[in-house]
Amino acid sequence: MGRKYDLAMGILAVLALIGVAAFIYQFQKGLILTNMRNPFSWGIYIAMWAFYVGTAAGGLVVSSAINIFGVKQLKPIAPVASLSAFIFAVAAMIMILPDIGRPERVFYMFIYPNPKSLLPWDFLVLSVYAVLSAVYTYVQLQPKIAERGISLPFGKTIMKKGDLTPAELENLRVKSERRAKALAPIALPFAILIHTVTAWVLATQLSRPWWYGGLLAPTFIAAALTAGPAVVILASLVVYGLREDLKPTYRLLAKVSAFSAVALLFMYYNDFFIRQWWDAGREYDALMLVLRDYLHIHAVEAVFLIAGIVILAKKYDTVSGLVAGSIAVNVGILAHRYLLIPPAYNLIPLRVPVVMAGESFEWQYPIAVGEVRGTLLNPEPVFVSYWNYIPSAVEMAITVGVFALISFVFLALMKALPVRE
Amino acid sequence: MVRYGMIIDLNRCIGCRSCAVVCKIVNSQPPGTWWQRVETVGSNEHMVPVGEYPNLSEVFLPIPCMHCENAPCVDVCPVGATWQREDGLVLVDFERCIGCRYCITACPYGVRQFNWQDPDENFKQGFERSGFEENWFAEGDYKYGYPKDHRTDDGRLVYTKTRPRGVVEKCTFCVQFVDQGIAPACVRGCPGNARIFGDLDDPGSEISKTLKDRAAFRLLEELGTEPKVFYIPPARKEGRGGVRYGEKI
Ligand code: SF4
Ligand code: SF4
Repeated sequence: MGRKYDLAMGILAVLALIGVAAFIYQFQKGLILTNMRNPFSWGIYIAMWAFYVGTAAGGLVVSSAINIFGVKQLKPIAPVASLSAFIFAVAAMIMILPDIGRPERVFYMFIYPNPKSLLPWDFLVLSVYAVLSAVYTYVQLQPKIAERGISLPFGKTIMKKGDLTPAELENLRVKSERRAKALAPIALPFAILIHTVTAWVLATQLSRPWWYGGLLAPTFIAAALTAGPAVVILASLVVYGLREDLKPTYRLLAKVSAFSAVALLFMYYNDFFIRQWWDAGREYDALMLVLRDYLHIHAVEAVFLIAGIVILAKKYDTVSGLVAGSIAVNVGILAHRYLLIPPAYNLIPLRVPVVMAGESFEWQYPIAVGEVRGTLLNPEPVFVSYWNYIPSAVEMAITVGVFALISFVFLALMKALPVRE
Repeated sequence: MVRYGMIIDLNRCIGCRSCAVVCKIVNSQPPGTWWQRVETVGSNEHMVPVGEYPNLSEVFLPIPCMHCENAPCVDVCPVGATWQREDGLVLVDFERCIGCRYCITACPYGVRQFNWQDPDENFKQGFERSGFEENWFAEGDYKYGYPKDHRTDDGRLVYTKTRPRGVVEKCTFCVQFVDQGIAPACVRGCPGNARIFGDLDDPGSEISKTLKDRAAFRLLEELGTEPKVFYIPPARKEGRGGVRYGEKI
């Protein structure tokens, strides 16, 4: 592991630093460096925020499934799972920072919260969830920490209690188990809440027919139960590898992920069917926008999800199968999240019906973009009714940087904490 | 209780965009930002009628902020930076806004706009892109706009000439004038006299009387936003003031 590990950490550190630099640059210049504009006001940052909220689920669902429903197969990987929950919940919160114009005011959400808005609630449940999963990880690891300590870089070890007798150690184990059991029922509702509240942030927007409706929260849960276990599979493979005694664990996780992906696709196409059946109206137009302009993203989503389902359902007992399947479903979910954004914005809510002699259509009222574009001889319109959003270089650098940062922290923690047997 | 609203008579609107320009100047809007828009319904270009001769239509539709009674932007703002004042004006507190742009997503009328960069930068860039070598509004120089900052009674900053970067802004019904008992600039600047501004709760006000006499509609009423901007629908004009292209006169 040594050389490879160092190399991976080095690359991740460089990417993370580039991301931080890009964030500082964006903080100085403003969000003009992104490709978002007034008609298209949320972009890849918000898509990634929804993605990380989803991947954060797996961890806690897995670890609490053990303690509430007694699914013993999952036990060995529980600490890795809850640690990944913590990391991704934090990632989701970090992802908000580059998106807002005034990150230095983000704490206003706690001093002046508007209870009607779902964003402060989302922030609240996410932070509680992050704290809970950190505590949960600690509680589970307590006996091992006492036994082996936390190893810091440069060979130092802290929190090791070498003088514990075997009896005391056993005592600690029992205690840790009891605490974990007590924490599980508290943590599980929050695991569900983070997805529902995140979905509600979008699903309550009557002006955005692509999101509006009751089905968004269930699809968020399905997406979370697809991405979450897949992330846990990958993380456990990194830490433990495909050990013989863990095979049932991987199998169970792979099944959960594959089954949830099926449920997600079902709900998704169910929604598609209803939208297309109407043959007119805003919901229908949103779907047509997907099929017309974003078919490639939808294709990535569907192909990768289906491939992931097949691989996870069949090849759950080989490393390559597990890795390929988990990555495939995650790519599918990522595309799914990305596709949340464009059809919501490019269907401008203010549409005026125009009825002419032979035809009738809905005319989208153009929106001012917020800057002067083009040149004197090739001016570009200030008022647009369609915005072709492609993430800018700065947006990509920050997005990749956040991913590198959390992977770095995750790997570092995996090394420091005594998660291995 | 005062509750301000506006009527726009589409029969009188000639699509000249004076309201948009006077609004832009008086409220010191940076390049690319327009609180007030006027477009020709159904057309890709303003002032180009839609349809095929002889069935042409050319309706101009000005869009300010609707100052919705049940405003989605107020509901979604996580920090209460956007709020509805007692007189019905929906305002943005520049010192509170965190720039999350959730309100832009929520507003069905597309009136909210973000300060994507520093206004000084924006002006410089605007001049360069429209072919002017020198920056006419160098930092610290005179810029157009109502000169003084305006705060509400409880001290919230709702108008300032130099916009902070990273906050949202939108039509305020010219709060700095309304608080001095003066009508919004677009109402005063409209050459067709198409707009009426006043207190909807006062049965004697011009706006209330007009609403009683004339059929008026509001935009996207089905969304339940209860806009306080009313429109008087354009009547079909036949043989009056139009140009006829028939063979014989
Ligand atoms: S028109 Fe838009 S910005 Fe104005 S009050 Fe209504 S929702 Fe808010
Ligand atoms: S951008 Fe500002 S005004 Fe709009 S919702 Fe966010 S904090 Fe409120």
